[in-house]
Amino acid sequence: MADTLTRLTDVFRDVFEDDELQITRSTSAADVQSWDSVMHITLMMGVERAFGIRFKSGEVAGLKNVGELVDLVDARKGAS
Amino acid sequence: MSRAERLLAHIAAEHPRSLRGVEEARGVDPARFDAIAEHFLGWAAGVHGEAEALRRCVAAFEAFSHDVLMSQARYEADGHYENSSFAECEAAVYADASVMDDYLWGVFLTNFCWAHHMEISKAYLERFVRRLPSDAQVLEIAPGHGGWGVWLLSEHPGARLEAFDISPSSIRIATSIAGAAGVGARAIYTRRDAMDLGGRPPATKDAVVCSFLIEHLEEPKRLVETMFHELKPGGRAWLAGALTAAQVDHIYEFVHESELVRMCEEAGFRVAETLSVAPKRLLPKARYLPRSMSLLLEKR
Repeated sequence: MADTLTRLTDVFRDVFEDDELQITRSTSAADVQSWDSVMHITLMMGVERAFGIRFKSGEVAGLKNVGELVDLVDARKGAS
Repeated sequence: MSRAERLLAHIAAEHPRSLRGVEEARGVDPARFDAIAEHFLGWAAGVHGEAEALRRCVAAFEAFSHDVLMSQARYEADGHYENSSFAECEAAVYADASVMDDYLWGVFLTNFCWAHHMEISKAYLERFVRRLPSDAQVLEIAPGHGGWGVWLLSEHPGARLEAFDISPSSIRIATSIAGAAGVGARAIYTRRDAMDLGGRPPATKDAVVCSFLIEHLEEPKRLVETMFHELKPGGRAWLAGALTAAQVDHIYEFVHESELVRMCEEAGFRVAETLSVAPKRLLPKARYLPRSMSLLLEKR
């Protein structure tokens, strides 16, 4: 199975409607033009669907970059 | 640099996901946004100190806004609000002082940092506050952070405010903001359930203010009846509420603006003006339109 970052890349490309979008662990909202508060929630909903997990609001409100999201997803997958 | 400019610079540096929405709010009326920011952030600076006020309020605002959007996304998926009783909300939010403090400081900035609430705040100031007598005796039900009532007092140096809120955090924060604004001597905040104001003499107030409580109640009709009871004939009331707009502690789902209008009319009010506004940007494929609605009410 693809690693978490690869699977997240697919979610990002789907949510931001950009098939060329590349993300790394250091990618943040400052690097993706339309990554605002509304799109952040849309992204989190997409991640939930892709990984079959459900976030609490506080878990994802303060995420600073993709790396923190990868770690959160991995921790939740490991816990499930 | 003005407080509004410092606010935007801080958001750009520390909370970039929130920048677009706040810039949209400023775009509604830049001069008014800057003036409200000067007031609200100035009061917060009086409580926390200038730098800490910005850090504290913006972090709380981003977290609160995130919670609201997350609730709306769940509402879109589930078709109903997350909670339906006061007891559930008390357990999740109201009983935890640290949660409530963040909640109230977060809501504090929504008065002008959400574009649709900028519209509501403009209506509050221009259509309600500035039409009140300068020595108005005012009741505020559920002041929360206290900003609405403190703003009124700062516009009318002869006005006096009596306010009730069920939350100890509200009483503490509203009292601190009133003090920072220099109106503390004209404001009395008391911990009391807005649904249990029975026994008070009728018709003692020139104005009643109640912003964004009604959707938190199991029996909203009782709130409107209380507002009518408190108001003198000829008095005016301000009521604001949310429709198809989810939040962890929103339990009464208003769907149509007419529901609020009818509720007020059935309590005896004449509905003089209404304003219903929605956020400029919605979740993709949203089937609900979250709105905030204000009503200017008259007791004849």
